[in-house]
Amino acid sequence: MSTATVPDTFDHQTETRWAVETHGLTKRFGENVAVNNVELLVPRGCAFGYLGPNGAGKTTLIRVLLGLTHADAGTMSLLGYPVPKHRDLALARVGAIVDEPRFHGHLTGRQNLRILAAAREPAARDRIGPALERVGMLHRADDKVAKYSMGMRQRLGVAACLIGDPQLLILDEPMNGLDPAGMADMREMIISLVAEGRTVVLSSHLLDEVERTCDAVAIVDRGKVVRQGPISELLAGATLALQIECSEPDRARSLIDATRIGAHIEVGSLGLGISLPAGTTRDVIAEINRVLVEGGISVYRLQEIQASLESWFLQVTSRLGAPE
Amino acid sequence: MRTPAPAAANLATVPDAAPRDHRGSPIPTGAMIATRLMELRKRRGLMIALIVVNIGIPTVFLVVRLLAHAIAPKSYGPAGGYSIYTGLCSGVLYVFGFIVAATLGCTAGSVDLTEGMFRHLVVTGRSRLALYLARIPAGLAIVVPMVAAGFIIVCSVCVFAAPTRLSYDGTNVPAGLSRSAFGNWAGDHPKLVICNFNFNFGPSSPVPAVVNSIPCGPNGPIVSAPSGSQAGPATVTPAQLKAAAILIALRNYPDYASDFLYPSDSLMIRTGLWIELEAVIGFIVGLGLASLLGQRTVPVILMIVLEIILTPLFSRARIAHLLNLQRSIVGVAMAHLTPGGLPVFGGGGGGPGGGQGNPLLVPESITWAVFVIIAWLVGWTVLGAWRMMTRDA
Repeated sequence: MSTATVPDTFDHQTETRWAVETHGLTKRFGENVAVNNVELLVPRGCAFGYLGPNGAGKTTLIRVLLGLTHADAGTMSLLGYPVPKHRDLALARVGAIVDEPRFHGHLTGRQNLRILAAAREPAARDRIGPALERVGMLHRADDKVAKYSMGMRQRLGVAACLIGDPQLLILDEPMNGLDPAGMADMREMIISLVAEGRTVVLSSHLLDEVERTCDAVAIVDRGKVVRQGPISELLAGATLALQIECSEPDRARSLIDATRIGAHIEVGSLGLGISLPAGTTRDVIAEINRVLVEGGISVYRLQEIQASLESWFLQVTSRLGAPE
Repeated sequence: MRTPAPAAANLATVPDAAPRDHRGSPIPTGAMIATRLMELRKRRGLMIALIVVNIGIPTVFLVVRLLAHAIAPKSYGPAGGYSIYTGLCSGVLYVFGFIVAATLGCTAGSVDLTEGMFRHLVVTGRSRLALYLARIPAGLAIVVPMVAAGFIIVCSVCVFAAPTRLSYDGTNVPAGLSRSAFGNWAGDHPKLVICNFNFNFGPSSPVPAVVNSIPCGPNGPIVSAPSGSQAGPATVTPAQLKAAAILIALRNYPDYASDFLYPSDSLMIRTGLWIELEAVIGFIVGLGLASLLGQRTVPVILMIVLEIILTPLFSRARIAHLLNLQRSIVGVAMAHLTPGGLPVFGGGGGGPGGGQGNPLLVPESITWAVFVIIAWLVGWTVLGAWRMMTRDA
């Protein structure tokens, strides 16, 4: 762990660029390496998606960052404060939901927040009302949590994050249990939090939501961060997909194979599905069309499939899942 | 792997630095204690159960006795009194107070974990030790008044509904008299005293001569006059009679006082402190044990087994090679601190020495008993806090 000292006058706002910074972070459970030498840099003031298949180690990394469990190796810092050395200072400006948010069911939402505010600075108590209002829970704040739906507990969890007036929010699957309207509200709230200058790290399986909400993402698989960067740049590096409806698909496949352009071709009921390497220009698509037409193949439809975060995620994780 | 550049953020609305609120301090704040108290107090089912056990059971018992005595006083004796007091204090309040406190301690030590709040609290950055220590004053703020309420009810009934007269050596004597009041009463009833009370005076005392002047019926006065003394009928004045009765009464006062029909103030104070100490031990040990195990049910069962089975067993059975182990059980140590006049838990004793020197108990010095109690309080607090500080949330 880092042992850097942080003087009281240390101005993290100007001197640190990263909201989250990890180097060589490792967490093992016996033989299983849940977090494997993770290098993660989350820039300040953005919405950052943290993606990975089930069991990839997303939640474990979040738990390590928040001091809920200890790391076996590596260094990390939150908002510039080395953790765990200055964990109290770092977490004073962090709000987090880890796994499903659970509270004391026999207390009201407001009373639960009072307990959490008491553990924070005195001003946190004054933020309970505004936080409940912001997540749309003010009208149910005095009901017992035992009567809340899953979505309402999610909202209360976000309110619990907000009472600390956080610079960094770490939200683990915050869309779970939300109805479509709730998801839209949550998306808008995340965007507004980022607009206020806060950093939001969003762990989610809902890739479409992440794509619409986040500026940058990291993909984690088998405990390792395998891709990281702004979504637009990552998608630019994704493979190009073509869907071609034509006559004689098998002969069309042979003709394309003969061009040696490195395409991966699958013949299906709808025709040919072609994956082209990342960086392929549109001239190559035109060349494929020309080869098919000159070969006497009738081309009924040729469609370029736009790469989405989901398709890119599946490409990355399926490649990783392939036997080596 | 590419790293995204930091976004140009509008940071104007975000505070510059972490608040300086000593979040890493192990000392819990007043707000933390207050909210923890609220969390425990709002457990309605638990609170009702604890009140029923600690206050309800002795109250119902005493109310039934009060009603029975009011309806049929010749068939049912008074509701209060010394024997009722000692029985309720050492047999009910002492044990139930411990169980109530242990149950609350086990609840306070485990619910954050089992109900998912522990994670939220850890993420605030607050010292885990402070989170643990906040539970102690919060829990004691419930346990101590609850035990006190049960004890006050018992004391009130035992004092105010005690029999008003005591049959002492076959004589009806008002109960609860002070030494001087007892002497005054004897002066007013010299014949009763002289004819019924035991006494033993030396040859120089005028009392035997006075006593022998009083005809006391078929058995006469119980005189233990020394051999060779002049004993025979003589003429005595009422003043001499009164003086002799007072002397006899004052000689008998310690014996009379031990049979008071309601407990003395000092006994009630010592008993109250003793029961509260037992409850505090129950809470602290329960808190530590539940925090250590991370659950409530098993620790509650273990605490009840300790109090109901192990403590009485190890208090009395003298196992040669395990005597020191037996002495290190907190219940055994507490039995040695039983106030004089109360029987030790499980029956027996009740003499002026209380638990100390009680032949029924495994021998143990007061110093060692106090050391054992402190060790249990500190040890379980350290264990519970250590587990809370090292536990994965």
